[in-house]
Formats: sequence, structure tokens, C-alpha cells
Amino acid sequence: MSEKVFSKNTNEPAEHGFSKRREALVLFFSNPQGVVGLVLVTLFFASAIFAPLIAPYDPYQLDIPARLSGPTVDHFVGTDQLGRDTLSRVLYGGRVALQIAAIGVSIAFSVGLLLGMIAGYGPRWLDNALILVFDTIRAFPTIVMALAAVALTGPSIKLVMIIVVVIAIPGFGRLARTNTLTIKNQEFITAERSLGAPLITILLRHVMPNVIGPLLILAAMEVPVVITIEAGLSFLGLGVLPPTASWGTILNEGYLVIRDTPWPVIAGGVPLVLTTLGFTFLGEALRDVLDPKLRKGK
Amino acid sequence: MENLLTIRDLNVKFKTPRGRVYALRDINIDVTANRILGIVGESGSGKSTVVWAITRLLASNAEAPTGRVMFKDQDVLTLKEWELLHFRGEKVSMVFQDPMTSQIPVLSYAQQMTDIQYRRYHTSSAEKRKRAIDMMRRVGIPDPEDRIMQYPHQFSGGMRQRAAIAMALIMDPALLIADEPTTALDVTMEAQIIHLLRELKEELDATVIVVSHNLGLIAQLCDDVVVMYAGEVVESGDVHQIFNNPSHPYTQALLECDPARMLKRSFLLPTIPGDVPDLHIPPSGCTFAMRCPKAFKGCENKKPADIQLDDGQVARCRLYDPALGALDVATQFDDRSIANDLGKLSPKIVSENILVVDDLRVRFRTMGALKAKLSKVTDPFIDAVYNVSLGLRAGQTLGLVGESGSGKTTLGLTILGLVQAHSGSVLFEQRELMGLTEAQFKPLRRDMAMMFQDPVGSLSPRMSVQGLITEPFEFAGIGSANRVDEAIELCHLVNLPTNFLSRYPHELSGGQARRVGVARALALRPKLIIADEPTAGLDVSVQGEILNLMARLQREHGLSYLIITHNLPVVRHIADCLAIMYMGRLVEYGNCQLLFDNPSHPYTEALVNGVPRPDPDNRRPLVSIEGEVPSLANRPPGCEFHTRCPYAESICRSEPPQMLPLPDGRLVRCHLRH
Repeated sequence: MSEKVFSKNTNEPAEHGFSKRREALVLFFSNPQGVVGLVLVTLFFASAIFAPLIAPYDPYQLDIPARLSGPTVDHFVGTDQLGRDTLSRVLYGGRVALQIAAIGVSIAFSVGLLLGMIAGYGPRWLDNALILVFDTIRAFPTIVMALAAVALTGPSIKLVMIIVVVIAIPGFGRLARTNTLTIKNQEFITAERSLGAPLITILLRHVMPNVIGPLLILAAMEVPVVITIEAGLSFLGLGVLPPTASWGTILNEGYLVIRDTPWPVIAGGVPLVLTTLGFTFLGEALRDVLDPKLRKGK
Repeated sequence: MENLLTIRDLNVKFKTPRGRVYALRDINIDVTANRILGIVGESGSGKSTVVWAITRLLASNAEAPTGRVMFKDQDVLTLKEWELLHFRGEKVSMVFQDPMTSQIPVLSYAQQMTDIQYRRYHTSSAEKRKRAIDMMRRVGIPDPEDRIMQYPHQFSGGMRQRAAIAMALIMDPALLIADEPTTALDVTMEAQIIHLLRELKEELDATVIVVSHNLGLIAQLCDDVVVMYAGEVVESGDVHQIFNNPSHPYTQALLECDPARMLKRSFLLPTIPGDVPDLHIPPSGCTFAMRCPKAFKGCENKKPADIQLDDGQVARCRLYDPALGALDVATQFDDRSIANDLGKLSPKIVSENILVVDDLRVRFRTMGALKAKLSKVTDPFIDAVYNVSLGLRAGQTLGLVGESGSGKTTLGLTILGLVQAHSGSVLFEQRELMGLTEAQFKPLRRDMAMMFQDPVGSLSPRMSVQGLITEPFEFAGIGSANRVDEAIELCHLVNLPTNFLSRYPHELSGGQARRVGVARALALRPKLIIADEPTAGLDVSVQGEILNLMARLQREHGLSYLIITHNLPVVRHIADCLAIMYMGRLVEYGNCQLLFDNPSHPYTEALVNGVPRPDPDNRRPLVSIEGEVPSLANRPPGCEFHTRCPYAESICRSEPPQMLPLPDGRLVRCHLRH
């Protein structure tokens, strides 16, 4: 077998690897749902990050004479019962939502991934124990758990975060475990063991990259859930406390004055709906692109 | 004789994100009524695409095929969707490669087989069921009345494939298509299926198309043969002509590469250099020109025509073009040869035993201790490896042969400490390996390496080739800082171009991935390599390449190989000793040549004779061995093989035989040989 034989088509599959990535991009952008999702998510991030720059007013600045106004030239979507600018409050509320979503989901993602891999790769009893923990958490109604926690410590944004993380971990954990169980029995793991690969290398280098894809999709889909939980808890007065602006508190306060003006409720609800839709669309589009089973037909 | 199916100028293209794939180009095939046609080719030759085109089951990204597929006087390509419902199953029916995935797991055979007859509106379901039972009896399924109520998972592989044939035949199709019908089966099952198909063809006067890469199967079964390469039919003709007097250089090369056709033992096997062309670019000339040893001027850019040779043989090759003079043909490229470097191996350096396995037993638990107590099972274990003893000398090759489920892979994994043994000992260079902890075992991993069965699946999918082949250095903590030199050196060792280092496993072909596996195994210069099915998943033309590489490295580095395989024709050429395993036990162990020339144990005999010979003039009239491997959970008393043994006597049913030596030094576990 001479070198010459290979030389004629050696550069061909390399370009294949490149086109595979491009193919994924093309696939993503040819899906209108994915594009809409991406636009909405980008809007959400931009408005939350640049809220201090784009918000027309300080969200806590009172303007009692202009209270409960509808949309005017000064206040695009009106004001609340204290005369605070609703648009500014919504923009700042997005910061709370982003904070909780980003931090909460990434902590739940990492912890769930780690526990799931340990459950999947480790001994049977450890697997059973972890699954029992996951199922117990899942069996608990969110609101009851939140009420119990609030009764112990009092409402705070930190508490919301903890609740969100605890609720989200089992989802990530179970998914990581299922995928690890499949990967564990594949031949390349035995091959690594036969070379004497340390356990930690097997888990981090060979198992993790192969289970992480579906978890990323789950993370995108989990973000709106987390934001809704935060809004729900804040609406009930169990989460973010007034005067801090959050979509939940805006809804809560708007709900009390809904007979006078519908604008605070609309302004608090619409971004919640759009963000939820955006992340859901993005997650679904990502799944279609990344899931090898859906792409096998090529 | 009249043609049942005539394919003319069939072209199939697939749309992919990378562009069009010209999967089939100008296919002409004649299927004569009441004969068996074999379509043979390597992977990617388009042989299955032809079948899908006939049944109009092409994948959704296929463009509408052009050409004609005439079934009697009807063009299949113009049939409407509802006409196809009636065409498929009733006129043409199929048997697929893997019966496990092509049968419905949640329906009993009774249900599946009555469902198939749904178009027989005037037949009662009792009658449909009776037909189903008759058909199952006809394909050799014992007690069909009871077994028809069972589900696919309750059938063994061979029985499942028989049921698949019964399902295909139940509507009396005019044409039966079998796509790799024996590829998922063991040698003894394969022989049974070949025999069954031949019998059924005689009985039912059926017309059959068999698609396979297995030359032995084609030679044993078919009347006519079509040879395909890279989406074209390169040669077609009568099976005797194709095998005895192949015309197209590709057919000649393919036959030359088949280890089963080489009667003399050779440690090096011929290969076809080069790779199958990329079908994204339709070749301007002959598709095989790039690899053809007989290519001459013009072959690379002038399309060859189908040329009618004597006796109905057709070859698509310019060698036989009457328009070209002998002068043109004489101007051959001279730097190509198929049989490269044959017979240029230095002798093996053999010394004392490097590996001694003594009385090794591996047990797997079948149920928990509590459940076993409750259900009064005293021994909730199965023996995957049952008291195996063998030795391997340094520098030699030991072949471990058995059907699937015989415990050969488990034995390999146990030697490497990847599966826990129950009792016994494994000595590697006089050191006991059993009972070592992973930390104690680790330094020994440098001297022992394993090659795994699936060339691509045994490589971690998210790592580059460079990362993969330098991992052994990393785990051993040696080598230069970034280990580039080591990677390049290994590439040279296994003939892998260095620009492959940045690729990922899914971008490699089977042969290339296998070379990466060899490089990983060799990285730390081990003394012993355990190779699990080193040629599985490789085409005939590539497997020689890998085996030659292994043979060369053995002599250069004094390696010892333990080769685990079910492929007897291959192991015959490369092994010094053979150990035959049946249900976790060795049944025969000794010199490879002796075992092949004069198999002593009836099971060895069945294996050696069971391999379908790629020689159509020498067809075996009878099935070599009946029945199936019993369950490990339910070992037969006495000799485990007596349930299938044609020579079994009463002592075999009661007394377990011992492994005893024969005068020629072999060890055999059989009452009748001592």
C-alpha cells in the first residue's frame, strides 16, 4: 500500500467536516421557527443587559400626578399606581428574569449533568439512590415547596434561585443518566478502559461530550419554565419583593389596579409570553439540528 | 428463457447537502424466471439501491429514477401509489438483513402473518392462519402450531430469518428479493439458510434475487451473477463463468482477494489498492480505472460500453472493446499490481509462552440473590467461559474461533481484566493477573492491548485522530510534551497519511478507522495484542490490507496476537494455533493447519465445512449441522454438543468428555476420538 494511493482523495473528507458544521447552520436558518426564536431571545438578552441605557426613566422614580395613565408620549405603555414608568420597570424586570434564568439554569445544568453521569456510570446502588432523590423532588408540587421554604426564611431573590435550581436538577440529572447508560455500554468506553484510562478521564473526556448535546437543548427549554416560576412566585408574593421590578411583581401590582387600567398587566405579560416562546422555539430548532436521530436522513 | 424482470438504463441520484450523489448509473440487469440471481459488490457499490429502486422504496431524498424497470410487461417506475400496494408483497417481496429490526416486536407471528394476507378479502382468518402455519412448516420451523403464537424475541436468529422467509413467501410472490439474508447469522445458520433457499426455489419454482457481499453465499446459491462496483454493473453472466473465468478486472481482483478461494495458506493476502471513488462527481471514464491493474490509455476519461462476450457474459470494460486495437491495450500503466509484496515476510521469532490461561471460569449473575432464593434457583449464574486453558507463545498468533455467544469476546476481556473472572488463573510473562487491582494492573496495560470489533464504534466520537492515538502515551505518562512526534510516527507505522490526524472518527472509512485502532493498540509497543474480529465490517479488498499490516508488524516487533473471530477463511491464513470454543468451553485446540486439514471434533468439522465455498462447481449437497446453540442457562448434560452432533452416542448424553491429547498433539474434547 503506497502513500500515492491516498494522496488523491485526502483533502476530500476534511472539507466534509467543515461542511457538516455549515450544514447544521444552514439547517438552523432554514427553519423559520428557529430564526424567530433566535430574534426573540436576542431581544430579551439585549433589553435586559442594556436596560439602564434604554429605559426612559428610573424604574423607582415616582410621578404621582401621572399615576395609572395609559400610553402617552411621555410614558409609552403608561404608568402604575405610583406613577412609575411601566416600560422602564419591564426592562429592569427582564434583568431579574435573566439573572435567575441564567444562573439558575446553569447551576441546575452542571449539578444535574454531574449527578446524572455519576448515577449512570457508577454502581447500581448509587444509581438507585440518586434516582430516588430525583423522583422525590419531582413528586413535590412547586408551590408547596416554595411556601414551605418561604415560611422558613422569608421571601427573597436568593430563595427563588434555590427553588428554581432544586426543581430543575432532576430533569437534567435523569437525561444525563439515561444518555450515560447508553454511552457506557458502547465499545469505545471498553476500549478506553483497556488502555488504562482513569475514571475521571473517561467521565469528563469520553462520556460528557457525548451526553451534553441533549442537555443543552433541555437547558434552552428550561429557561422559560424558570422565568415563569419566578414570575409565578413573585406574583404570589413569595419571590422578588416590591419595590424591586420583576415581571411577576408588575403583574401582581397591575392585577390590583386592573379595573383602572389594563396596561401594567399587558406590559408585564407580553414580554413573559414572548421570552417563553422565544426560548421554546430556539430549543426546538436546536433539537432538530443537533439530534442525530432527526438528522440521519441528511 | 423469459425475463421476469428487466432493468434498462436505470439511473438513481440522491440529493444531499453536499450535492448530488450519482448512486446508480446506467444499470442493466436481466432477471430470468425460475433462476436465482446474485448481486454482489462491496459496500457503497449500490447493490441495495438497485433493490430499493425495484420495489420503489428509495429514500425520500432520491430524485425520480430514470430508465425502465420492466416487471413482465409493466414498468414499475410508472406505477401509481395504490398500484404499488398490490405490487409489493404480492408480486415482489423481500427478506431483509436483520430479522430483529424488520419484524414487528409487539405482534405475534400469527398476527403478523395474517396481516400480510389482508388483501385476501374472501379468506377467513382461520384459513389465513392455517396458510401461515403451513408456510412456517415449509421453511423448517419446528412445531409451527405452537411457535406461531410467539413473538420475534422468542425466536433465535436463524429461526427468525426462517420466519422472515415464510412471511415473504406467504403471498406467493413471483419474485423474492433477499438483501444480505445471512450476514447477521453464524456460519452454521448461514449454511442452513442457503440450503433452505435452494430447496424452496426448487419446490416453488420461484425467481430469487440475492444481494450480498459474500462471494461464498453467491457461489453456493446463485445461477446468475451481477457484479457491481461504485454504482455500475461491471460484469454479469452465469455463475460458473463469473467464478471460473471472470472478465472484468474488478471481478478478477475481487475474487483474488477472497481468502476462502486461496487454497494454499499464505500469511499475506492480496488487496485492491485505493478507495471507492466519490460518487458526488460522476466519473468521466471507467469507475474502476483509478484502481485497475490493467487500465490503459483512455480508461480514465472514456466511458466503457457494455460489451457482449461469449456465452452471454457482459463486461463493461474497454479491454474487450473490438473497436480498440491490441496496440492501445498494450500501453498499460505499469506501476500497479494487485498482489503487492506477496511473500516478502521475514520469519517469525517464536519463544516461550507469553500468555497462559489456566482453568479460567467467568460467571454472570442472571438474577439477584433474593429473587433466586424466592424462586428456588440454586445456581443463579451462567458460565460464559467454562474452565478454559490455553497458551500463546511469544511471536505467534492464536485464533480463538466460535459462533456468537460462545464466550470468546468475554475471554479476551477477562484476560485484560475488564471482566471479573470467577476462578482460574491468567499468567502473562509468568505474572499472575487474576486478583490484581486496577492500579496494579495499570503498568501491565503497556504490554497488552486490545483491538475492538467495531472499527468506528470503538473510537471515542468527539476526539480527533491525533487525540485518540496519543491517548495511550498520556495514560502512561510518557512521550514528548505535545506528542506530535509520536502521532506522526504512529501514522507512518500504520500507513495513515498524517493529514488524517485532525479528522474525527465519523469522517473515516472502515479501513481507515481500523488503522487508527491498530495505531492505538501499538502505541506503547505492547507484547500481546488481543484482536476482536479485526476484519469485521471491512470489505474483502480492505481486510487484506489490515491483516497484512498486522502480519508485518508482528514480524518487525515480535508481537503475539490472540485473534478472536468467527471468520474461518481469514483465520486460516494468519493463525499458528487455533482454539475452537463452544458454549464457553474449548472443544479443540491445536495447530491451525492440522485443524483445517483434518478437523477432529464434530463441531470443528461443522465449522470448517459450514463456510460457503466461493466455488460454484463444488456445491455442498447437505447442511453441515442441524439445530441451534442451546441456552447457556440450560446446558445439556454430558457433552454440550451432543444435541447437534451427527455422531452422538449414548455416552455423549451422560458423560462430559475431557480435553485429551491426540497423537498429533492436538487437544480434543470428544468421547469418540479417544
